[in-house]
Amino acid sequence: MASKNTTRRRAIILLTLTSIMLVTLDLQDSPKVAGLRSLFGTLFYPVEGVARVITRPVGNAWYGVTNYNKLLDENSLLRQQVAQQEGATVAAAASVRLSQELLALNGLPTLAGINAVTAQVIGESPTSFSQKIEINQGTDSGIRVGMPVLNAAGLIGRITKVFANRSFVMLITDPDFSISVKVVSTGRKTTESTVRGITSVTTSTAVPLEPISNTPDAETTTTTTTTIPIAGFTAVVTTLPSTPQGLTSITVPLPSDLDVRETGVIQGNGPTRQPTVRFIDNSLRFGSIEAGVPIVTAGGSRSLAPPDVLIGVVSRVVERVGSAGPLLEIEIAAELTNLSFVRILLYQPITEKKSP
Amino acid sequence: MLASRWTRLILVLLVVLALQTTLFKELRPFGVAGQVMLLFVICAGIQFGVSIGAIVGLIAGLMFDFVVSTPAGLGSIALGITGATAGLYLRFFPNPIWWLRLVSIGFVSIIGEIYILIAQAMIGLGVVLEFRLIKIIAVVTVINVCLTPGFLLITRWTLSERKKDR
Repeated sequence: MASKNTTRRRAIILLTLTSIMLVTLDLQDSPKVAGLRSLFGTLFYPVEGVARVITRPVGNAWYGVTNYNKLLDENSLLRQQVAQQEGATVAAAASVRLSQELLALNGLPTLAGINAVTAQVIGESPTSFSQKIEINQGTDSGIRVGMPVLNAAGLIGRITKVFANRSFVMLITDPDFSISVKVVSTGRKTTESTVRGITSVTTSTAVPLEPISNTPDAETTTTTTTTIPIAGFTAVVTTLPSTPQGLTSITVPLPSDLDVRETGVIQGNGPTRQPTVRFIDNSLRFGSIEAGVPIVTAGGSRSLAPPDVLIGVVSRVVERVGSAGPLLEIEIAAELTNLSFVRILLYQPITEKKSP
Repeated sequence: MLASRWTRLILVLLVVLALQTTLFKELRPFGVAGQVMLLFVICAGIQFGVSIGAIVGLIAGLMFDFVVSTPAGLGSIALGITGATAGLYLRFFPNPIWWLRLVSIGFVSIIGEIYILIAQAMIGLGVVLEFRLIKIIAVVTVINVCLTPGFLLITRWTLSERKKDR
């Protein structure tokens, strides 16, 4: 009996020391721990697969019982929303295309130039405390730790652990998530000026939406401006027919009328609280931030995400005393509770890229 | 080979872990995942004492750590301490009544969830103190209490000593 107790005590000490050593090594991103994880994952994967097949009917029954009515309501609501958004999507797509062409023309990086991998979400975190999901693509597809993950609506998180053919994505709501962002203030009054003699490189088709204002210029050209408010953005579609002399004109805003941008850092606050943006300058130049202002990634040589990936819109501004600047609560554009397919941008900042 | 209770433990833990990462990841009453690995450890501790509870907790935690993205070893320590805490029950109640056992399992479930949070906070993982934590702990406790009879049988079968073990 005494020898049995001694053996057990030794086993407890050994296992405890192993655990402490693993924690220490894993916090330093030791490749040995990653190898162990990978090995265990390989051994465990068949067992999990069998369990998934056996338990799937139970899970489906559970979803049927708990979510059926919700699903019906959601379905009808979504149909309405889809109908409403179809028109807006056309205008938004035209604006995005125009913006990307302009960026490409000026040699600026665009999202269209970054390769991406589509992955399926194969699981949520099995615990209730962390905000992570598991996807079915890994290093074999070129995915690396830190790469941004998006869905159709915008940024949802970033890769935190990668295996050969699966990865973990830390969602934007995780308390450990943070990334630099830009707050785009669009609250200023805009004035248009027409510049003659500039050859237009692109033409866009006017979208059949209700025109708010028409500003024809009888002398040189006819300009039709259609303004559609889309979640804080203003899509402006301009038709530029050629003049009889072959000249075209484009409408450019005055420098003082361009959108003002400020940078900050977004941080997750758990699934039930909205993420917040901190470190926004309390400057007069920027003016006051209002709800509905869009938040996009800042980009830059050290940022893990490229610039101008939509994250969400400001839902509330919490003013703070002193020089701390306001705290912005963000309503995320992506629906994080119902993720099926995601897109991983194979983007690494210059500082992270290994030289050949 | 199956006569060794430690071999049985590893095999049964693999099955329980598979259930944790499949079925109990999907069934989320009130948005909270049940923690059957935690329940297994508590049941082992409550039936076989401090040392067995601690060993089962350390092994189960280690296996669990390898499939989640939290640092490896963290869950092992938390579950090990939970198993040992559950094992203290036998010292206070050597001949337990059934309902007292259920109450104890519920109580240790609460403590176990708190241990996990403390362990995460100790290594600097973000833990947001909010009302949801109370909900998580409450739901996990209720699920554990509901599943207790089945898991008591499983742990008893797994960890009972057969002739070859002695």
